[in-house]
Parts: sequence; structure tokens; C-alpha cells
Amino acid sequence: MASLTLRDVAKAYGSTRVIESIDLDITDGEFVVFVGPSGCGKSTLLRMIAGLEEISGGDVSIGDTVVNEVAPAKRGVAMVFQTYALYPHMTVYNNMAFGLKQAKMPKDQIDKRVREAADILDIGPLLDRTPRALSGGQRQRVAIGRAIVREPEVFLFDEPLSNLDAALRVQTRLEIARLHERLGSTMIYVTHDQVEAMTLADKIVVLRGGDIEQVGSPMELYERPQNTFVAQFIGSPKMNFFNHSDLAQTAPPELRQVDEDTIIGIRSEHLSLCSAGEETLSATYELVEQLGEHALVHCTTSGGTEFIAKLDVPPQSGRDVPLYLRVSPDQVHLFNRETGLRK
Amino acid sequence: MQDRSLARLLQTPAVVLLLIWMLVPLGMTLFFSFIRYVLTSLRRPEWTTPSLDNWRGLGNYQFVWNNDGFWLAIYNSVLMVGSILVLTVVLGLAIAVLINRAFPGRGIVRVLLISPFFVMPAVNAVLWINMILDPVLGLQGLAVAGMNEMIDGLRTFPLLGGFFSLWPDLEPISFRATQTSAYAVIMMVTWQWTPFAVLIFMTSLQSEDQQQKEAAILDGANAWSRFRNLTLPHLGRPIAIVIMIQAIFHLSLYAEIEIVSRGNGNKNLPYLIGEFASNNIGAASATGIYAVILANIIAIFLLRMVGKTLMD
Ligand SMILES: Nc1ncnc2c1ncn2[C@@H]1O[C@H](COP(=O)(O)OP(=O)(O)OP(=O)(O)O)[C@@H](O)[C@H]1O
Ligand SMILES: [Mg+2]
Repeated sequence: MASLTLRDVAKAYGSTRVIESIDLDITDGEFVVFVGPSGCGKSTLLRMIAGLEEISGGDVSIGDTVVNEVAPAKRGVAMVFQTYALYPHMTVYNNMAFGLKQAKMPKDQIDKRVREAADILDIGPLLDRTPRALSGGQRQRVAIGRAIVREPEVFLFDEPLSNLDAALRVQTRLEIARLHERLGSTMIYVTHDQVEAMTLADKIVVLRGGDIEQVGSPMELYERPQNTFVAQFIGSPKMNFFNHSDLAQTAPPELRQVDEDTIIGIRSEHLSLCSAGEETLSATYELVEQLGEHALVHCTTSGGTEFIAKLDVPPQSGRDVPLYLRVSPDQVHLFNRETGLRK
Repeated sequence: MQDRSLARLLQTPAVVLLLIWMLVPLGMTLFFSFIRYVLTSLRRPEWTTPSLDNWRGLGNYQFVWNNDGFWLAIYNSVLMVGSILVLTVVLGLAIAVLINRAFPGRGIVRVLLISPFFVMPAVNAVLWINMILDPVLGLQGLAVAGMNEMIDGLRTFPLLGGFFSLWPDLEPISFRATQTSAYAVIMMVTWQWTPFAVLIFMTSLQSEDQQQKEAAILDGANAWSRFRNLTLPHLGRPIAIVIMIQAIFHLSLYAEIEIVSRGNGNKNLPYLIGEFASNNIGAASATGIYAVILANIIAIFLLRMVGKTLMD
């Protein structure tokens, strides 16, 4: 068990700076998710923690020790790779035992640990197979098993679910959550899927272009995004942005007051249909995506701003009839147009 | 059904051609190996035409079996093929792993490394035996002479001179001699074929999964352990290919042996066949059949060995 601290951590490949200067505290037993668009440096950061990538500046500490110069295997971290990276010429058993053998652990102890891990992950019957003879989901479990047997203080996952189909992804996500519950170890998880981030994390770290945009619990990020990037990155469909001119005359006075330099952010699920005279916005719609439990209605305001409303019942009227939509003022997010920061 | 028999029909010419290509020479060799058949004989002119009337049964095989040169030839064939295989695979692995990482000038180094493979075997042999291995004029002779001169100089040294006087003069090795000509052939063929191994191993190394290596680093495996447990199994198939192809080629070594020592002390089976074939076609054919048997034994043995040590 260990906490993890990043102080002023930076990474540069030659003259290209990939990670600017990152400060982050992760407490013992926390499940932290790094999210961000492709190329923002999530994997690089994770690999620096693992020791697979040299640290160009700053300190990474695990527990109380700075590990910048510590060999990867001695840091007490285990990593699950996106491609699983199982050893193709070894059986599942040997895949899991390999790290322990390298550490010269006695045979009976290795055996005990491997079988325990196999029990937890339900892969007991597969121990004698080679990775080639496993399905994607089974490979995934073996990769996790290989991490578990080493009893690391910190688990690192780099997009572990991206090679699985949708159903298996949901199932494995739950299993990882359960595993965290059971082992109580610190886990760092990289993904660009915000649903994974929201469901798994104690703490989400949103990265963009090598910098942290915001750190917080999933609900904090959802309810109080610090800037327009986080606002649109967390939540699905992404947050709608409006201008002052999109608002109807009948919008609540708090909203009518905002000036032209403010972006008005409203999540699609917070918009609801209302009768004329109560509306915050009026719009016409072009397209309805019926998802069963609710519908995504693609609309355009008279000012030409496109947005999506998530409605329980799709509008019954024709396309050229205006839709009246309202939102309660405390569910509106205001951002400075220049800086993108929350007001 | 219709489709399949049509396909068979269309394949037939190719298959028949291949069969003829293979079976006719093998059949003729077998036939000649069971009859008396010589190119010239004043005493028994009837032996100069191949015919069933000259049937000799296993006589040719017995004659070859009891020939002094035969066992030496088998021993030499196995010695040369075995040594060349071990050396090229070990050197090939080492070089391929070394130049697999990025360094400035890698492209040029790779081209240079491959170039020995494009030298003709006979030219290769002439170069090596005259310019490198020659005891007087070759690199070897020059190096030995240089070292002797240096030791000679050291002997005149005031205090330590006495110690160096105990050293003997170095003798250059004559690689055309009976005892050493096989080693000369092993050296030059190794030099020529190591690039082949490097080339095959290098392409395979580039398809190696880097994340597996990183996983092994996190598992605490050192460089040797990663090589042994990941790279070597990954190269199992290319190693088997290099061994098989080279075994086939080197069992029929001829030019190098001819040029180094004209077979002196270093006949292998093809060379023996060549000697017999100057007159006694029956014995040459019998030796050829022995060579086929030897090739098969070696092939089975190699396949087993390669399969066992690398695939588990
Ligand atoms: N060896 C390298 N040399 C130069 N730049 C690199 C190198 N490796 C990565 N980068 C750059 O670093 C940035 C971050 O890469 P990284 O792999 O961490 O992104 P990521 O957030 O994991 O993206 P993804 O979600 O696509 O996996 C990218 O812009 C990439 O181009
Ligand atoms: Mg990545």
C-alpha cells in the first residue's frame, strides 16, 4: 500500500515537450483515472510512473521515496498493457509466475500466489494454455493476474479495455472495480473513455496537451467543471454552449443578465420541454435519435447555435414548429469566453 | 465434385513435371548404384554401358563402405556442417541483436554486413586462403610475423627481457595442411553465411512486441533473461529456417574444398562423389545415395532438436 506524489513532473523528447509540469497527490488506496483526448500524454505519464520512460524533470515518489532513479521492477508497481503483452511462448501459469521467478521466490510460494490469483480471476482451468489459445477477455484476465501475483503497491492500467467488445468491456469494468474493492491497492487507470472514468474513479485527472485541466471526484467534475474543455469532455452527450443572443426573452433574469463575453453551458439532460412563455430557449429540431429510454433531439436556435437536448419524450410537433425548452438556473454553467474558465 | 476433379486435372501437368524432375535423377542414381558402370575400362568394355546385365547388387555400397575415404568424408561433412551451423547462428544472433537498436549510420552498417553474402563461393575461398589465411603473405602471416618481431624486441629489455626469452616464437598455421584445411573452409563459409542468418534474424527481431519486453522489465527480468525467455523463443522459427537451409547448402560444399586443399585431408561426401565420378559411376551413385541418407538423418535430428529446445 502506498501513496504516490508527482512534483513538477515534466517530459520532453528532445525539444518537444510532451508533459509540461504536473503536480498530483494520490492517496493510499485511491482509484485514479487519467482521461484526456488522444496524444495528451496519459500513457507517457503512466509510463514515467512505471519507470519505462525517463523523467525529464521533477520527482515521482511512491510512499516516501523518490523513485526517479529506481529500477522499474523495484518500484512496487505492476502494469496492465493495452495489448496485454502476454509472453506468447509461456503458459498462463508461467506468464503469471515469471515475475516471481525473476525475484527468486521459492517454488511453493509462487504456486500458492498464482493459484490464488487464478481463483480471484476465475482462470483456474486455463493455467496450462498458452495465450494464443485464449479469448480476448481471458487474455485480459491473465494480464491482470500477472499484475496481481506481484502484490504491487500501485497498479497501473493503460487503456486495458479498449480491445474488448462493448459487452465484455462493461463486465470487465465491473470486475476491475470489484478487484479494487477487494485488494484496496492504489490504482491508476488511463482511458479516453469518459464513461469508464466516471464509473471507476475515486478521482479523475483530466489532461490536455500535457497539462492537468482539472482534478476531482467524478461528480465534482460533472457538476463544477473548471473550464470549457472539462465541461465538454465529461458527460455524454457533451455539454451545449450558448451565447447571450440564443436566450429567449422569457429566460430567467439571472441568465438574461450575462454579457456577450460569457459562454452559457447547459447539459442536454438538463433541458426539458415546456409551454410557450416559460422557455429559456426556443429552437427547431432537425433530427431525433430515439434511444428507447430517452431521445437525443438535435436542435438549432434562431441564432444558429446547434445543440442536443436529451428528452424523455421526443417532440410530436412538426420540424418547423418551434420547440420551447427550459432549464433551471442552478444547472447552468457560465464560462469566460476569453479564458474558458468558469465564472 | 466436378470442380475438384477439374482443379486436379489442371494441376496435373505441374505435378507430373515436378515428379519427373525429382524422380528421374533419383531413379537413375539408384539404378547406377546397383550396377557396374564405369566410364572407361580396357579390360571390361561391357561395363562402360549401363545395363541390367552388369547387376552388382549391394556391391557398390559395400565397396564405398569399405573405402578409406568414406568415413573420413562423413566425419568431415558432419564436422563442417555442424560447426558452420553453430557459428553462423550464434554470430548471427549476436550481430542481429546488436544492430537492431538505433544508432547513427545503421543503414550503411547493415548493407556492409550483408555484402559477404553476395560474393561467389569460389572467389570467397580464393580471397580467404590467399589474402587472409596465407602463412606468409596473408593477414595471418603478417600478424604472426609482427608479433614475433615485437616479442623479439621485448627480449632485449633490461629487466623483463629474461621473462620474455621464455616465450616461444609464434608459428603461423598453414591452412592448406591435412589437419587444418577443414577449419579454413569452416571459417570462410561462416564469414559468408553469417549475413544470411543476420538478415533473417533481423527481420524477425523487428516484428518483436516491445510491450512484452516492457512487461518483462517490470517483472524484473534482466537483459539476458529477456533475451532467453522472449527473444529466443520469438526467433525459434527463423533459427529453424536458417539451420535447415544452411544444412542443405553446406552438405554439398565443393568449391571451397577444391580451392583450399584440393580435398587434401578434407574430403566431404560431394567431393568423394566427384572423385569416384571421374571413372566409377556405380560407386559415385552409391555414395550419392549414402549422402541422401545422411542428409535425411541430419534433417530429422535437427528438426527434433530445434523443435524441442525452442518451442517449449
Ligand atoms: N518517442 C517519442 N518521441 C516524440 N514524441 C513522442 C514519443 N512518444 C510519444 N510522443 C508524443 O507524446 C505525446 C503523448 O503521447 P501519449 O502516448 O502519452 O498519448 P496518450 O495520451 O496516451 O494518447 P492515446 O490516448 O492515443 O494513447 C504525443 O503527442 C506523442 O506524439
Ligand atoms: Mg496511450
